[in-house]
Amino acid sequence: PMQLLRPKTAPKRLRTSQKKPREPQVPRSLIKEIFRHFAKMPVTRDAFQIVEKCSERYFKQLSDDLEAYSRHAQRKTVEAADLEVLMRRQGLVTDKMPLRVLIERFLPLEYRRLLIPVALSGNKVTPCK
Amino acid sequence: GRRMKSTAPRSTLRKIIKKHKPQLRLAGNADLLAWLFYFTFKQDCPGVVVHLNFLLFLHRLAEEARTNAFENKSKIIKPEHTISAAKVL
Repeated sequence: PMQLLRPKTAPKRLRTSQKKPREPQVPRSLIKEIFRHFAKMPVTRDAFQIVEKCSERYFKQLSDDLEAYSRHAQRKTVEAADLEVLMRRQGLVTDKMPLRVLIERFLPLEYRRLLIPVALSGNKVTPCK
Repeated sequence: GRRMKSTAPRSTLRKIIKKHKPQLRLAGNADLLAWLFYFTFKQDCPGVVVHLNFLLFLHRLAEEARTNAFENKSKIIKPEHTISAAKVL
């Protein structure tokens, strides 16, 4: 309430003149870091560029797929269940490798908490806040 | 070694999907756990799940590229290794 009454501070003037709105993309540094982490060996600069291109293509494909799934369910909203179906089709989620295991293996704790509520004793389940 | 930072750029992920599909919305109330625990929670988790999927994609790509590099007796991952890896995926 009090914060709303405060006047907004003027945004800092950017030194660069008129920044163009950039295409939304996953930060290169992050892609690099993740790929390097998984590759466990040196990667040439050009190879990273290929990885970036692949990432762009990946998101395009992903958007198409998610649209198809949600439309199939006559929804305009993508739900987490759509992603699970997709990951099953990609062969990432199988009976031997349930989504939970993937979540636990690949995501940091804060996200695990979001996706997997902690079962407490007394059979209570805490939903994420 | 150092822990990989794997926090998802969630708003970015949403923007990317929006770029490709302006009319598509990512659920604010994911029922991801409906099939796990039979209860629904209100949380914009799909962004995270998209990130997980992306992580796994990069994981696969890296593993494939690594395998290709080994097959070519290369100690570094070169563009051709990633290109042929991408073709497999």
